[in-house]
Formats: sequence, structure tokens, C-alpha cells
Amino acid sequence: MATLSLNAISKSFGAAKVLHDISLAINDKEFVVFVGPSGCGKSTLLRIIAGLEEATEGSIVIGGEDVSTAPPVERGISMVFQSYALYPHLSVYENIAFPLRVQKMEKAEMDARVHRAADILQLTDKLHLKPGQLSGGQRQRVAIGRSIVRNPKVFLFDEPLSNLDAALRGDMRVELSQLHRSLDATMVYVTHDQIEAMTMADRIVVLNGGRVEQFGTPMELYHHPSTKFVASFIGQPNMNLVPAIVEGVDVTGVKVALSGGAKMVLPVDGSTVSTGDKVEVGIRPEHVRLGNSGLEISVNVLERLGGVSITYGTIAGDTRFCASLPGDAAIREGTSIILEVSPDACHVFDAAGDVLRRKSAPELVAWG
Amino acid sequence: MGELMTETTPASGHTAALQAAGKKAKSLPEAVFAWMLVGPAMLFIAVIVAWPLAETIRLSFMEAGLGGEEYVGLANYQELAESRRFHQTIIRTFYWMFLSVALKLVLGLIGATLLNAAIPGRGLFRVLVMPPWIIPMAIGMIGWLWLYNGYFGVLSGTMMSLGITDKPFEFLAYKNSAFYSAVVADVWVGTPMVTLFFLAAMQGVSRDLYEAAWVDGAGRWYRFRRITIPQIMPVIVSMSLLSAIFTFNSFEIIWILTEGGPRGATTTLIVDTYKTAISNFKFGEGSARAVIIVILLGLFSLIYLNVLKYVNRKYGTR
Repeated sequence: MATLSLNAISKSFGAAKVLHDISLAINDKEFVVFVGPSGCGKSTLLRIIAGLEEATEGSIVIGGEDVSTAPPVERGISMVFQSYALYPHLSVYENIAFPLRVQKMEKAEMDARVHRAADILQLTDKLHLKPGQLSGGQRQRVAIGRSIVRNPKVFLFDEPLSNLDAALRGDMRVELSQLHRSLDATMVYVTHDQIEAMTMADRIVVLNGGRVEQFGTPMELYHHPSTKFVASFIGQPNMNLVPAIVEGVDVTGVKVALSGGAKMVLPVDGSTVSTGDKVEVGIRPEHVRLGNSGLEISVNVLERLGGVSITYGTIAGDTRFCASLPGDAAIREGTSIILEVSPDACHVFDAAGDVLRRKSAPELVAWG
Repeated sequence: MGELMTETTPASGHTAALQAAGKKAKSLPEAVFAWMLVGPAMLFIAVIVAWPLAETIRLSFMEAGLGGEEYVGLANYQELAESRRFHQTIIRTFYWMFLSVALKLVLGLIGATLLNAAIPGRGLFRVLVMPPWIIPMAIGMIGWLWLYNGYFGVLSGTMMSLGITDKPFEFLAYKNSAFYSAVVADVWVGTPMVTLFFLAAMQGVSRDLYEAAWVDGAGRWYRFRRITIPQIMPVIVSMSLLSAIFTFNSFEIIWILTEGGPRGATTTLIVDTYKTAISNFKFGEGSARAVIIVILLGLFSLIYLNVLKYVNRKYGTR
């Protein structure tokens, strides 16, 4: 198993630059997820690591060895494709054995490896079937089996669960996490689904427009997003962004007036803003509660999910706001509610979308 | 029966809707409407396929010429069964077919692979493959007649200037060279279609399969052998059958180039049939030959369909 370093990777397709100067250091046995919206360059970055695409600039080091110009097979990686890329004319056994046949491995050793992989992935009784006879989840497992038998240094996954239905995706997330623990391998996983990223990753790379927005643990990204993009991408439902005006800055934090009139002193580092600046205050839906003073929301749509009630409404008529309230909260569509929010739980983003550093951990206190 | 019932139910519902819409629908029962749809096609097939076929079979039991017909039973077939020349014609026809089809398949495979490769100007090359197939066969063959001509042809001229021969060589004047020259011309005509079908099949193979194999260390040749060939195998098999039938029945090429000569060297079954029935007015004997062609091709197709079944089982997705 091995570390993986990307050093100043850039990639252009003709005049279009899709990756900008990406540097990452991924630790041995780490499960890293590249997440971002469609077209952010995450799959391209993975393909560059795999050797399926060549970086325009920069270098890739796997296990201490510069593999920037090496063909895929010499990089010690294996890859699971979004489409599974199973050979439809070959049996499950032959699909899993494919890389070993390429290597001209001895029959007994090959047989042992295929059966071990099939055993791990519960495919032993499916070895004689063809991919067309399997369910989506089983095909996915065959594709993983094919990547396991080679004992690669780094596993690469390109949106492997996106073709599965929601329930199966949930199951496969758990299976992949278990697989990571049992194989003790370095894994790089690409997805556009932030839930996959949050649930499986040791660390997450958030990509946007071919740039790394933030690289950190799921909880770092959740509590300390460095940009508005990360803040709104991570977390379900999405973070609310309420426009506000800076009314003053001092050592305790930044005083803001939110759209809708509420005023708060937020404990963030205000050294980069000054009075009169426009900012946005980020409030997670789950960090508000019904109260007597605070933000007034007119409720438009209510989704009662049982445990929680996802409440969609607006502040001052135009700013959309979502709140995650208790399942039995006494609220109705078409009425107004008052939501309390702790200043500690708020994030503040300047006009460029960068965060103002938070000074303390979230804790619910009264409104000022 | 149960299936039939469920199938007719929606149609009946449809009829009910039509009845509600207007009285005209009511006067036209479904069966009549169905017959109206298939009727013209059936009439067409009866006139241009079924009747000539039946007539050919009938004639094959006759001694028939311009003067009249006389029933002779199996005499025509008997004669063919005992004729060494006819046996040779059958062998020649199969040799002609296997050789030509094999060359078309190999060239088609090579051509499709090249045209499928990411080379600059690929679109232009794809168009350039087409002319042999597009230009009228007669015109193409007249071109080949000139190429093969000993005194004016490029081939003979080139051979002389390279010192391979010292006098003009008439390709179509000798038994062996005429046969293989005809094969070359037939391959020239038939290869574009094969190439195009193979290319289409190759383009249907998912790129992911090649990338997955590449990541696993499979080289070009390995990928071609283990992915491309199995993936396009059903097309290869169907194209072989189609191409075999076309080649077996290839008439114009031989007729324009050699008329089956010299001394029968390029006479295949179809040419023999034409010569017998049309040139020599022996309609009965010609018909017997035609019936034999139908039987041979029928058997051949049967074998092929079984091969196709096997291939689909082996290389299919289930």
C-alpha cells in the first residue's frame, strides 16, 4: 500500500483548462473522496492518476515513485468504472481473472486469487454466470473483484454507485467502507454525491471549476468550510445563505444586520471586512430551532419526514430559507414562524465567497 | 390461446373507441383491415418469388427448350449427378466462395480497425473506402478488364517494367490467373460493405472496456483479440453468411470479366446455370441447376444459423 501525491497538476483540452494547479498529499491506507458538481474535473483528475489521461503539467508520485509518464499498468493502481466496464462475453470468473490472465499468472495462483476475491464479495456461486445475468449490485461487486485480484497500491473508483438505486447505494456504501477496512488500502473515490463523500471518506477533496476548494475531514468541511461553495455543497439540506450588511467589527466578532432586519454579533474574525460591507451569513437548516425572537420565516412548503420536518420558506419575502425542525413541530404552511439561531453556529462569507474564520465551537445562546 | 386473448383485448378496446368515434370504423372488421395491410406485400411476393420458384421447380422435371416441354422426371438431376464437369463446378464454386469471403473478412477486419483508430483524416478515409461498392458493378468491372489487359493494362505494364515478365501478360487468358483475377475483383467489390459493418460494430464497443483492459495491462493485440473480436463476433458471423451468399451468387463480375472462361475456369454454379438456361436455351437443365443452388444455399444457411447460435451462446451476454 502506498501514499499518493499530486504535485501542481494542470490539464487542458485544447484551449479549455479543466484542472488548475492541483496539489494533494494522500496518506497510506487513506480513503479520499473527490467530490464536486458535474464538470468540476474530478473524473479527469482520477483518470490522470490512473494514467488514462496525461496531465498537461505537474507530476504524480505513488509509493514514492514518480509515475507521471508510466502507463496505467505500471502505476500499481486499479480502477472501477462508473459503467463497471465488465466484459459481457466473459463469465464472472473470467472477468475477475482478466488482469491475471494478462499477466500470464499460473493457473493455481490465479484460481486462488479469484476465489478469494469472490469470497470477500459474496460472488462464489455466481462465478459461472455472465454479467448480463447479474443484478446491478452484483455487477458492481464483480468490477470491484477485478480490481482486488491485482493487489494494487491504490484503488481508484469513478462514481461506482451512480447506476444503482437508492437502497442499493446505501448498502454498497457500507460494503465499500468495510472493504476499505479489510483491505487496508489507499482508495481514491470520485462522486458527485456529498452523502457518499461524508459517509465513506477519511478526507474529502471538494473540487469546483477545476480547482480544489478544500481538502479536509468530513467534519472539518461541515464545521469549518473555507468557502461558500464548500459550505453549500456539504450538508443536507443545503446551508442557508442570508444576505447581510456589516454594521461593525470588534474583538468579539462582526455585527451584522440580516436581510429581514434581525441583528446579530457573530464570533468570527472580522479583519478582512469593514462596516458597510455586504456579506452572507450561512446558517445550516439543522442549527435553528423554533423560538420567540430571531428570524421570521413565512412557511411555504412543509415536508414531514417523521423524525424531522423540513420547512421551506422565505425571509423578508425574497431570501429562501430552509429549516430542519422536530417532526411534530406545530407549524403549518402559509403561516409565519420565528427561528432562533446561535451566533456560534453561523458562518460568514465575504463578497468573494471566502469564509471569515470562526472563533468558537457552536453553542446555542440567546439573540442579542 | 390465453396469450391471444390478452393480445386482442387492447385492440378490441381500440375498436370500441373507433366505433364510438364514427360509424365507418364499425363497417371494417379487424381481420379485413389486417388482410388489406399485408395483401399487397403477399401478392408481390407471390408474383416475384413464389411463382418463379414453383415454375423453376416444375421446369427442372422437364426437357424444355424453345420448341416446347416434355416431362422427363428426374432425368435432369440424374445427368447432373453423373457429370464430372458439374461436380467440378460445385467444388470450384465453393472454393471461389470460401477464398473470396475469407479475403473480404480479413481485409474488412483490417480496414475497419484502421478506420476505427484515432487517426487524423479518418472521416476522409471512411468515405474513400466506399467507391467500389457505390459505382455500378459493370463500370467497375470494365475498369478491371482494362487493368487486366495484357497490352494496355497497368498491371501487365508494371510487371514488364519490373522485369517480372518479358512479354505482355493477359491475366484473363489463362485458367489460374483468370480465376484469381476474378476473385480479386470480387473482393474489391465486396470488401467495403464488410468493412463498413465491422466498423459499425467496433464503434458499438464501449470505450470503457478498452480502458479497463488497458489499466489491467492488456496491450493492443490482446485487447483486439480478447475484446474487439468477441464483441463483434455476432456481426462477423452474420456478415460471413451474407457475404457467402452474395459471393456464391455473384454473377455480373464473372460474366463481364470472363463469361465463365477460359475453358470453364471461372464457371461457378450461377454462371453455369445462366449459360445452360439462357445461352443454350436448355430451360429444364438450367432449372435443375437453379434448384440445386437453392438446396445448397439452404443447407449452407442452416449450418451457419447453428454456428450463429453457438457464437451467440459463447460470446453473448447471457
